[in-house]
Amino acid sequence: MPDFVYKALVKVIDLYTRIRDRVNPEWSIRNSPRIREWKLMAYTYSRSPIGLVGGSLVLLFAIIAIIGPALAWQPYWEYKVVENPDLWLSPPCFPPSCSGFPLLGTDEWGRDVFAMIFYGVRISFVISLLIVLIGAPVGIVLGLVAGYKGGVVDEILMRITDMFVAFPGLVLAIAFATVLPQRIRGLLEANVQLRDFLLFLFGLRPEEYGQLASLLSVLLALVIVWWPIYARTVRGSVLSIREQVFVEAARSIGLSTWKILVRHILPNVLSPIIVMMTFDLATAALLSASLSFLGLGPQDPVPELGFMISKAGQYFPERSWHIVVFDGIVLLLIAFGWNLLGDSLRDVLDPKTRRSIEVRLRAKKAGKGGKSD
Amino acid sequence: MIESLKANTVLSVRDLNVKFYTYAGIVHAVSGVSFDVYEGEIVSLVGETGCGKTVTTRAITRLIEPPGRIVGGSALFRRRNGSVVDLLKIPDEELRRIRGDEVAYVFQDPTSALDPLYSVAHHIAETVRAHYKGAGKKELIGLGVKLLKQVLIPHPEARIKNFPHELSGGMRQRVVIATAIANKPRLLIADEPTTNLDVTVQAQILDLIKDLQREYGVSVILITHNLGIVAEVSDRVYVMYGGKIVEHAGVEELFEKPMHPYTQALLRAVPNPLKRIEKLESIPGTVPNLIDPPPGCRFRPRCPRAMDVCGRRDPPFIEVEPGHHVACWLYAMG
Amino acid sequence: MGLLRFLGRRMLTFIPTIIGVLFITYIIAYLIPTDPVRAWVGGEKLLNPEALEQVRIKYKFNEPWYIQFSFLVSQLFSGQLEDPIRHRLVVQELGTKFPVTVEVAIFGFLFTVAIGLPLGIIAALKKDTLVDFFVRFFALFGSSMPSFVLYYFLILALFVYTQTTYLAGVPLPSDACTTMIAGLPTSIPVLGHIAFYIGQIPMFGAAFCGEWSVVVETFKRFYLPGLALGMLSGGFIARITRNSLLDALSSEYILFAKARGLPKLWIWRHALKNTLVPIITILGLQFGGLLTGSIIAETVFNIPGMGRYIYESIMRLNFPAIIAGTLLFAIIYVTVNLIVDILYAAIDPRVRY
Repeated sequence: MPDFVYKALVKVIDLYTRIRDRVNPEWSIRNSPRIREWKLMAYTYSRSPIGLVGGSLVLLFAIIAIIGPALAWQPYWEYKVVENPDLWLSPPCFPPSCSGFPLLGTDEWGRDVFAMIFYGVRISFVISLLIVLIGAPVGIVLGLVAGYKGGVVDEILMRITDMFVAFPGLVLAIAFATVLPQRIRGLLEANVQLRDFLLFLFGLRPEEYGQLASLLSVLLALVIVWWPIYARTVRGSVLSIREQVFVEAARSIGLSTWKILVRHILPNVLSPIIVMMTFDLATAALLSASLSFLGLGPQDPVPELGFMISKAGQYFPERSWHIVVFDGIVLLLIAFGWNLLGDSLRDVLDPKTRRSIEVRLRAKKAGKGGKSD
Repeated sequence: MIESLKANTVLSVRDLNVKFYTYAGIVHAVSGVSFDVYEGEIVSLVGETGCGKTVTTRAITRLIEPPGRIVGGSALFRRRNGSVVDLLKIPDEELRRIRGDEVAYVFQDPTSALDPLYSVAHHIAETVRAHYKGAGKKELIGLGVKLLKQVLIPHPEARIKNFPHELSGGMRQRVVIATAIANKPRLLIADEPTTNLDVTVQAQILDLIKDLQREYGVSVILITHNLGIVAEVSDRVYVMYGGKIVEHAGVEELFEKPMHPYTQALLRAVPNPLKRIEKLESIPGTVPNLIDPPPGCRFRPRCPRAMDVCGRRDPPFIEVEPGHHVACWLYAMG
Repeated sequence: MGLLRFLGRRMLTFIPTIIGVLFITYIIAYLIPTDPVRAWVGGEKLLNPEALEQVRIKYKFNEPWYIQFSFLVSQLFSGQLEDPIRHRLVVQELGTKFPVTVEVAIFGFLFTVAIGLPLGIIAALKKDTLVDFFVRFFALFGSSMPSFVLYYFLILALFVYTQTTYLAGVPLPSDACTTMIAGLPTSIPVLGHIAFYIGQIPMFGAAFCGEWSVVVETFKRFYLPGLALGMLSGGFIARITRNSLLDALSSEYILFAKARGLPKLWIWRHALKNTLVPIITILGLQFGGLLTGSIIAETVFNIPGMGRYIYESIMRLNFPAIIAGTLLFAIIYVTVNLIVDILYAAIDPRVRY
């Protein structure tokens, strides 16, 4: 397994260098130290059991998220309980001893819990990705500007950040999630293409555009509470490297502020940010589910995981334990995958651990055939 | 076990081996080191950074933390009551009573050796109380002030209440020395006590160590890479290279007649306090990697007079002249 | 002297933060396109335009925004602001909800510490072994657990199957005890006030009066949410403790302490005190977070605390309650930060006021 992962990652890196070479001849020669570093990262990652488990979980759920809605054998909008009352919250039914009912039981609309999970994973995965991919860059840019410019700009940006941090995040998110849907709904009605694209992204059918508005308000609410922590972290790192020689050198040869920020400062603060983003994908998945759990997200028939669990709460535990358990485990594993991946990336992106592994590797190669002590 | 030790000897280390089991491989930090320390003398341990001086002295009282391990050897020590013990074999509790009381250390970096959360008074007081339970608070403060006065700290009554971060580097080093001598040890191990200090302060600290040795008859192991200091204060010198002792002699003998090519190179690399030479030379090459070192002399890759045999077998440590030992094939062939 | 000046300076920097928080809250509320008055007034009054108009005038909805805002703020600080839905003073509402949240927070905090610190210490001592790996795993698992799922599981295990707790009501001290505490500020000059405020927390009030059965009941009622909150953040604390303790143990001053022949216990004191320095900040922030009330925990465990009050207020556009709640939260945030700073300075002599 580790060797396979390592070889696969090296192949990806090679492919990327070949593409860069095509566009820009001799790119790989000029950047050979960097490529070597990437390969060392790939090696470090492939030796971390935590990382491999995390990566596998993330990959698994990514695949489910992509093909899930197409694969789900039951559409979420069909309420089977209307035809067959026995399907009302039927318990899990494992083949040898039981047959004729869905494997993981049904919900109060008679829908197969297992099939609904496929939709739920898509929604959860997409919303957490969007939250982090929108929220983090906003924070990063503000942090870069605040840290690099300093002075009044810094002071104002950081005071605003402070206010957002002083605010309990979930309360702010709830406030936005109650305020936003009507506005978003109007926006979606006016902009059909955007609406259809987003519906496709979340794996929902056009009828659900009203629910889409609540989903997006959860998304926006979390984006709003998300950026400050990135702004703070990036600003801190920028402050510490702003005065270093290479930045001074870049400034003295007259590079523009923007170029210095993007080409010289950003790459140096990126590692902790990537780790943070990976952890935050887990938090975003959990928080968006929490807001839905509180009833602020989409409503029926959208099978959002947090919302499904919250509905199951009414019949808990006698009739609905299976929904809480299975949907809960899926949510847990999505977050767990990202957290494990983030924890191993912290090691992979830390030059110190990487060095020690490199030394070990070299010692191993040199020691081949030598005496083992 | 019967331990034998010559009458005037405080410490006798034999065949000490320390290894570090790291990710990168096994580091042979100290290999077969033997040396003696006599009553009331100052012995210097000289060598480049990373040659195993600090590890050697710390191993004497088993202050080696994982991944390091003492894998062999003995360290016979004559206690105050005259009994002789092997520091590498006695039970932990007995060793604890010896540490800080009979064998005391001055660590190299005074900034990290003092706990930032505790005052100078606390450091001194706990060092005494760890060994002499009955001491009262007032007595201890009084003793602390006396010690600070002894290590030439101005305004000791005020300074004793300070925390480490409120003191300058030189002050901290003196506080470390004060805690080390608080219990009037028989053996003081001073690890580069002057490296981080100004030249004027350096001289004061060295004088202080000499005074202590004269006043209490303390034996001192002085670790340094500064040959000027060696010439100034020590009686005998051990030269270390790559985790081994390569030469041993009285201080004048060593500066007059260095035998090992490494010692010779070392003397050419600094202004020799006893001899005038025209030009300083640096030693070519780098400190050896001690991960699974090859057999033979460890200085061979950098040695201008290396021979065939040097790469095959370890040179023996032989007495070339009375009190002058060297580990080099140049002198062992005869 | 230094401490007072430090406190003064810190207080000054807090003022803009608090005003800013209030203002953001107000803007969010102001942006809501629906008419909040309609959400406040229920039943038949909804059909009566005069009744609606009265409420509107009372809360100055007909005036420009800055008058509205200053009205809200001045009413709030004078304690006269009224909850338009419950028709009680907002201060009174907070006065009954917040003590409950404090009780839950105390249990949550105790469990967090009781789970986090020992696990962290064990992991550090058994560094790079299976135990260490397990603690790392547990920490990541804890931060991956959807809180509500954990709450349901715990309810299943400790309420449904073993009946060791219950999920309704808040144990309160007897009426006689409450009246006694209410009279404290007048009977004892300064300490009376302090005792009065501490006594508002039911558990402590009961303890003042020696009503121990109420304290025991409080434990039975709130240990479950406390345990749940502790399990969620205990792993995180364990990780921090582990790394911090490893830093301390590998430091030169510990080795120097050994070289000075200090007994094991003393060496541990040095190591643990140094470990505590970074942990205090994080524990302080955790406690501050708990004091704002966990909305989900309060919903699932049926606790009438701050979290749920604010949540319900937001859902019904109850601006006076929301503004008062956010003010309280901001004050908690600021106070916790201040206390952390003071503790920090008390334990670490390097920190200057």
